[in-house]
Amino acid sequence: MFSTAGFCLISGAPDSRRMNSLPPPSRPPLRSVLLMSRKRTILGLDPQKLIKYFFGSNASVAIIVLVLIMVFLLREGIDFLPTYQRELQTYRRAGLEFCDIIDQPLQRNQALSSSLRQAVSASLETLSKPARDRRDAAFLLKRQVEDKTVQQRESLTQALEKTPPAPEQIEVFRRELGETSVAAAKALVYPAFFSAAESEQLQREFAALTPEVTDLPPLLQTLVAEFSAKDREARTKFAALVQAQEEFEEATEPLQEVVDELKAKALETKEKAVEFEVLETNRQRLLEAAATETDPKEKASLTKEAEESVSEAVNLKESIKEITGRTAELREQVEKYAVVIEKAAAVLPKEAGTGAARKLVNEVREGIPEHAREMRAAAATLEGWRWDKPVSIFSVIGAFFFGTQWITNSSWQDFFGFVPLLSGSLVIAAIAILIATPVSVVAAIYTNQFASEREKELIKPVIEFIQAIPSVVLGFIGISLVGNLIKDVSEWGWLQWVPGFPIQERLNMFNAGCLLAFMAVPTMFSLSEDALNNVPRAYIDASDALGATKLQTVFRVIVPAGISGILSAILLGLGRVVGETMVVLLVAGNRIAIPDFSAGPGVIFQPAHTLTGIIAQELGEVSRGSSHWQALFMVGIVLFAISLLVNWCARAVARRFEPHKA
Amino acid sequence: MSADSTAQSTPPPVVQVRDMDFCYGASKALFDINLKVEYHRVTALIGPSGCGKSTLLRCINRMNDRVPSARVTKGEVLVKGKNIHDADVDLTQLRKQVGMVFQKSNPFPKSIYENVAYGLRIHGEKNKSVLDEAVERSLTHAALWEELKDRLQANALALSGGQQQRLCIARAIATVPDVLLMDEPCSALDPISTLKIEELMHQLAHEFTVVIVTHNMQQAVRVSDYTAFLHLGKLIEFAPTEELFTNPREKLTEAYLRGTFS
Repeated sequence: MFSTAGFCLISGAPDSRRMNSLPPPSRPPLRSVLLMSRKRTILGLDPQKLIKYFFGSNASVAIIVLVLIMVFLLREGIDFLPTYQRELQTYRRAGLEFCDIIDQPLQRNQALSSSLRQAVSASLETLSKPARDRRDAAFLLKRQVEDKTVQQRESLTQALEKTPPAPEQIEVFRRELGETSVAAAKALVYPAFFSAAESEQLQREFAALTPEVTDLPPLLQTLVAEFSAKDREARTKFAALVQAQEEFEEATEPLQEVVDELKAKALETKEKAVEFEVLETNRQRLLEAAATETDPKEKASLTKEAEESVSEAVNLKESIKEITGRTAELREQVEKYAVVIEKAAAVLPKEAGTGAARKLVNEVREGIPEHAREMRAAAATLEGWRWDKPVSIFSVIGAFFFGTQWITNSSWQDFFGFVPLLSGSLVIAAIAILIATPVSVVAAIYTNQFASEREKELIKPVIEFIQAIPSVVLGFIGISLVGNLIKDVSEWGWLQWVPGFPIQERLNMFNAGCLLAFMAVPTMFSLSEDALNNVPRAYIDASDALGATKLQTVFRVIVPAGISGILSAILLGLGRVVGETMVVLLVAGNRIAIPDFSAGPGVIFQPAHTLTGIIAQELGEVSRGSSHWQALFMVGIVLFAISLLVNWCARAVARRFEPHKA
Repeated sequence: MSADSTAQSTPPPVVQVRDMDFCYGASKALFDINLKVEYHRVTALIGPSGCGKSTLLRCINRMNDRVPSARVTKGEVLVKGKNIHDADVDLTQLRKQVGMVFQKSNPFPKSIYENVAYGLRIHGEKNKSVLDEAVERSLTHAALWEELKDRLQANALALSGGQQQRLCIARAIATVPDVLLMDEPCSALDPISTLKIEELMHQLAHEFTVVIVTHNMQQAVRVSDYTAFLHLGKLIEFAPTEELFTNPREKLTEAYLRGTFS
């Protein structure tokens, strides 16, 4: 019935048209068409739907995996805060914090005295350097002769020690040694600051060297005496400086002694407390196991074991008294120390041997009052310190996000402060983006607007190929090539006006930034080029028709119209740079400290560590579940958040500046 | 040819095309074109799709230069008596004298003000008062000033299609060109907007010489003083509009006007 009706409906149509010369196309009866579609099912499902589900599930797998990653990161990392809170609490209760109040600012003393030492030795050298050079050169020459005659000397020594002595043999060896010594002494090059007579005498003395005589040859003795005299003279001349330096160095001793005693005590308490905590956790676990155990025998044994492991809790209140009880003494020592160093600063002479030394001395003179002020301020806070003040979770969050120290595996106290890593990452990313943005955007403009077809065919694949270079290979290049290159260039005389030159470290943030810029260029170039390509042809037509030159069209129409795409390309490049690990791990220098921004723009030539680098470097070596492990996961969470934020910004920028499509 | 006989008046033609052949690579697109465009008249180019009317229009401001293999192979194009293919012709100056409006409105994604001022800016005009004056004059000519004077800083892409096209006209006349080329300026617009632009063209003819390509014959009748009919790259007939439409001399023109082929 269906088939007849269907046939009539369909076959009626061609008849009404002009195609009556052709026979109507044959079609299967509608009934069989309808039934056929019902036949094709897989597991009772329409294959169309199955395919749809298959594609849909593939898309959702990506989303599910992303969610799983977030959940896993959070689960591992979020425990960090309570763990760190406990650790900081122990740090306070055991009195470590108390000691650090004085000990931290006291570190400054070392920097100051090292500056002073440098100033002193530079000053002394102005007088004693020629004498010292002569002495050192003579000793070096002597050593060279000895090295050349080492074989003969040994033979002779052995012969001399032999019992009974063999005089003929000794004689033979002695002659041999004499001959080689003469030859060796002759072959030496005598520096110009030895006069001809001196050179001759030295040569004679070296030729006469024998193993039996341990005294120095006479001229060498004279040279040593000359240096001592000069050194003494220099020390008299700069007596004030030398004395100030000695006083300054000694000033810290009594204070340091007290602090060290307190520190030892605090550490002892802390170790006991930690040990107790471990035992206690184990005991709790045993008890829990006993509670769930069904076998009465096992249960009894577990309970018994738990009871046996009960240990005595550390009486923190008692042990802290031993530390806080000495507050007054500590304050007194700090005051004494401050007075002594201030006095040293007052007698610190204005003059020093060289300009550099004078500068150092001035720095120290200005630094000491500040240091003394810091010490006094620290001592004043000792009274207000309470061992039982609870550590709030906010201060823990603050200690992580604003902490300036990342110290792990320390015998004293671990700190997980995030700022050194973040600052390293940000500075490196900023360098990379500052370098990569002009390069990639300009290259994109050139390729899109000015290059011939053949140039395009060359430039695009080559730049995109950069992406295929494994980052570890770039790391090699950074270590072996770029590092040396930057160091060599930084030593060129006419470039000394550049801040930070000459650089100290081959592996530094600038080096890493250069390589990361290189890695970011393909992303930024391709996306910028796409953005320019998407600028409607009509804009270019309009600009051309108004008589604009090529450059005017590019800079007044094409680039402004593509700016959203270019900005989002830069942001995506930034995301790539922040997340890159291998290059920064190999090249950034891995010094965990906040870069010294007081160095001005030269800061970029300092080494640093990064968020990604620290995870790669440390995660493999820490014990699972420890506070360090959790801290690294926290860093991972923050890194994840930064990447999400950057990507979101890139999308927002692309949407925000998108021109309305006309 | 018919073109010679119809244009005998003074002053001399502002655009003159002489015996021009035009090729895209090996294929010839225009054959032996002769055309004279009079000062302050509207000249319409009509013809079936692919007849070369847009190509002819684009020869006048050398927009075809951007197509790599396209070139004039014979004859010459004179604008105000100067051969525009001469070596000493500055393309930017030529295009300043010969403005163009496109089929689809294409304002820049900038403010209304900046769109109109663009032409002057690229030719080095920095004086704010000169720019302000030019923007007002051009928008007034384009019948947009009253509508838009209070929101000159708004984005041009926020305007309606008809406004956008009039803005493009304002932009093209801001540099005070001698000739204004219009390539099917109304084909993407609704009837009301089309009407406004047609009205505009009559007024523009007082100050500019207009050459318009259109596939709409009624539009050609309404707006133009002269009409040229092209077919398969050849200029079949060129005459005052009234004459061409009421009394075509060529059979081909008559057939096209009747609509017997398209």
